Amino acid sequence: MRKIYLTVLAFLTWAMMSVAAFAVDVIVVSHGQANDPFWSVAKNGVDSACKDMNITCKYTAPGTFDMVEMAKLIDNAVAQNPKGIVITLPDAAALGKSVKAAIAAGIPVISMNSGSDDYASLGISVHVGQTEFEAGVGGGQKMKAAGGKKALCVNHEVGNVALDRRCAGFKKGFGGSVDILGTSNDPTEIQKAVAAKLGAGYDTILTLGASLAGEPALAAIEAAGKLGKVRLGTFDMSPNMLKAAAAGKVEFLIDQQQYLQGYLPIVIFAQYMRWGTMPAGVVMTGPGFVTPDNASSVIKWAAQGYR
Amino acid sequence: MSEETIVEFNQISKFFGSVIALQEVTMHIKKGEIMCLLGDNGAGKSTLIKTLSGVHKPDKGEIIVEGKKIIFDSPRDALDMGIATVYQDLALVSLMSVTRNFFMGREPIKGFGPFKTFDIEKANSIAAEKMKQIGIDIRDVSQAVGTMSGGERQCLAISRAIYFGAKVLILDEPTSALGVHQASVVLKYIVKAASQGLGVILITHNVHHAYPVGNSFTILSRGRSMGTYSKQKLSREKLLNMMAGGEELDKLEVELKEIDRIGKKNN
Amino acid sequence: MSAKPQSIGEKSEDERLRKVSKLKVILNRPELGALGGSILVFIFFGIIAGDSGMFSAYGTINFLEVSANLGIIAIAAAMLMIGGEFDLSVGSMIGFAGICIAIPAIYWGWPLWSAIIFAFAIAVLVGYANGLLVVRTGLPSFIVTLAMLFILRGATLALTRLITGRTQVPGLRVLIDNDPIAWIFSADAFTGLFAWLGSLGLITLRQDGTPLAIGVPASVLWWIFLTILATWILMKTRYGNWIFASGGDKLGARNLGVPVTRVKISLFIGTAVAATIYACVQVLDVGSADTMRGFLKELEAIVAAVVGGCLLTGGYGSAIGAAFGALIFGTVSMGIYYTDVDTDWFKVFLGMMMLIAVIFNNFIRRRVTENK
Repeated sequence: MRKIYLTVLAFLTWAMMSVAAFAVDVIVVSHGQANDPFWSVAKNGVDSACKDMNITCKYTAPGTFDMVEMAKLIDNAVAQNPKGIVITLPDAAALGKSVKAAIAAGIPVISMNSGSDDYASLGISVHVGQTEFEAGVGGGQKMKAAGGKKALCVNHEVGNVALDRRCAGFKKGFGGSVDILGTSNDPTEIQKAVAAKLGAGYDTILTLGASLAGEPALAAIEAAGKLGKVRLGTFDMSPNMLKAAAAGKVEFLIDQQQYLQGYLPIVIFAQYMRWGTMPAGVVMTGPGFVTPDNASSVIKWAAQGYR
Repeated sequence: MSEETIVEFNQISKFFGSVIALQEVTMHIKKGEIMCLLGDNGAGKSTLIKTLSGVHKPDKGEIIVEGKKIIFDSPRDALDMGIATVYQDLALVSLMSVTRNFFMGREPIKGFGPFKTFDIEKANSIAAEKMKQIGIDIRDVSQAVGTMSGGERQCLAISRAIYFGAKVLILDEPTSALGVHQASVVLKYIVKAASQGLGVILITHNVHHAYPVGNSFTILSRGRSMGTYSKQKLSREKLLNMMAGGEELDKLEVELKEIDRIGKKNN
Repeated sequence: MSAKPQSIGEKSEDERLRKVSKLKVILNRPELGALGGSILVFIFFGIIAGDSGMFSAYGTINFLEVSANLGIIAIAAAMLMIGGEFDLSVGSMIGFAGICIAIPAIYWGWPLWSAIIFAFAIAVLVGYANGLLVVRTGLPSFIVTLAMLFILRGATLALTRLITGRTQVPGLRVLIDNDPIAWIFSADAFTGLFAWLGSLGLITLRQDGTPLAIGVPASVLWWIFLTILATWILMKTRYGNWIFASGGDKLGARNLGVPVTRVKISLFIGTAVAATIYACVQVLDVGSADTMRGFLKELEAIVAAVVGGCLLTGGYGSAIGAAFGALIFGTVSMGIYYTDVDTDWFKVFLGMMMLIAVIFNNFIRRRVTENK
């Protein structure tokens, strides 16, 4: 028994020596886990900014997409009394109470990535991210400039407000005729649905997710031999779509540039800590367009975790 | 029957589908009598005591308790009539205290309404007293039963049965897992219990435990009773012979000799 | 020879008699491991996160709330485990109860208090179903409740989508204010005390002068209440003895007249009701129900119960221990965010703590059942 006691004691001592809390300037509470390839890029943004701005930061996230736990993490962050808190806002109703408590405690909050509609009502100063409607507009304009007349917007989750907005913005930017194709989120079904529509004379297709919808759509276009006749653009990025873009098969990928979503809030807070400055409104990190021209550099940077 | 008979088991048959577990078995238990129930594995001893203790209903025959014909619907019925069975696992939870085990299912209560509580103080004192009576010097009745030896636990189970009004005590292989000393402790207690007027049915394989304490011996074979013998009419050797299936052992001996002889001839 | 008649076995036991000290009695209680573990955890975090704000009033309430929520279901799980069974459907029941509260209140226009009562009524039915299935089929409760885990979770998702078209039902917070029952699950207690402490400067103040920590949350009070209730039941009532007996020796207990079936069914109703209390607290706190709430919580409840000294095989354990187990869990899961440790390591950390607690508990338990 003594051996076990000693082992436990040794472990605890080691743990205590290697772990130490220090006062942190900015705490980031995100709904995205760092092992998610999308979010690890954002976290890299946070880490780089902290280093560049010479302040201390911490990136935290709940283990799974659990708004209750995330609210707790925000409360935790408040208890540590940092200079600023950065959050994502996927569910304003669930997180609102904790956010308001933070602001009431005198800790400024910046939101990023999600929640562009709700941030203001909670008292958040600025939102850093890509607003869906505007990104859609940007995509529509690009397709219009490329000569598109008849477009199809593939929405794989009708009713999801963010996705609905993307198509709506696209319609506005495109100007020409835009039909919405509602599908399930099953890639096989999407491919079939797109293939079915290819005979109807569309020259432009926009998908709202890269690996989920973009790749099946591309496969449908290629299978029908319409590569070059139908222009494909998509929201977000995936390794395969990046390669397709580098090969010229895809018109553009809309990159919300989550690296900036991690980087910019830290910069803003660093300036706030020094001079008390704080921007207002939405700081748009996207749409960033990945086209056949720059796709190969993006691929390189994606491999390093910056895109 | 006589005034002294507590339980009569008359012409009991029990079938499980096409298997005849018991065939017209008759056994009577008198007050103060220790009846040893003997027989080979599969002879029907378990079925017999399970029928007597209310786990099974007999298909034929009748059970008479203190002169009245009774049908048991459940083990609880048999228990209420004073037929207590101590199975091999003893129905003791080794992690629970002596007191809690002693009063399991029959806890004394105090208070009323929804606030009835388990009167632990009273239970503890009764349990301590009982343990002393048996001769188990338990330091603290709220210590776990797991700290007691096998023999002590047997005595605890028996004492519990007696305390709660057993008139007939059925013991299933009480000494089979015990060492020599512990077994003698238990057997002495059984004799003491019987001397206080209980009827005891003792199931055992071990004739060296059965013969010294038993008054009568019922032998079962293949679901039938081979008869009930009182100790005077039965010597230890004869009993051993009957239990071990003497006839079969003799036949086996002859066959083995024959095989040996043939082997020697061929060499 | 002595005049006193020789009792059976007396002479031979004398040489093994030993005085047992009061301290040893305490050391053999099942709660000890969890209590010790809690103290260790507090010392640990006190040292490494002492002035990080973790133990400020606001920070303390934060991790106490997590502990309390888990504690509510851990205590019920502990009682069930002592009774010899498991309920893996608790997490799904939390989600299901959540929508039982939210959908009637938001979509059918029921008053909130009636929706809450409705949810508890459903809980009793589900618990009864679980118990009945386990007892009638004789199947391990692990399997039966695992099936119920899927059934409930699926029903939660399917029914919610069917009725609302979404997986979330928000908008409950406004309904709490005038409701006669809801405050039991959502109000903060001792707000006056906290305001006074705030005015003394002992609690951080918000910018408007109110204290950051406004009071003791309802979940913490429920946790304490349920711990006391469960301990009283287990230690002081006949029914409690039956629970130990049913878990320790089901067949033997039944033969002695313990109504094992009734006991087990009532314990399953207990876990379902506890899950509903959890759901009430959470739904009213967050203001919404979600089909994924409670996911995997049943495992956490079991871990808390085991850390608290409950044997997986039944017949032994403690509700206070489970409460401490939940305290450890809550403190560690929140505390780690105050440190520099990458949250990826959280699960490793948690697992090791659990392992240590269980080994320690095992040691204690062996001492109880062997000759002291």
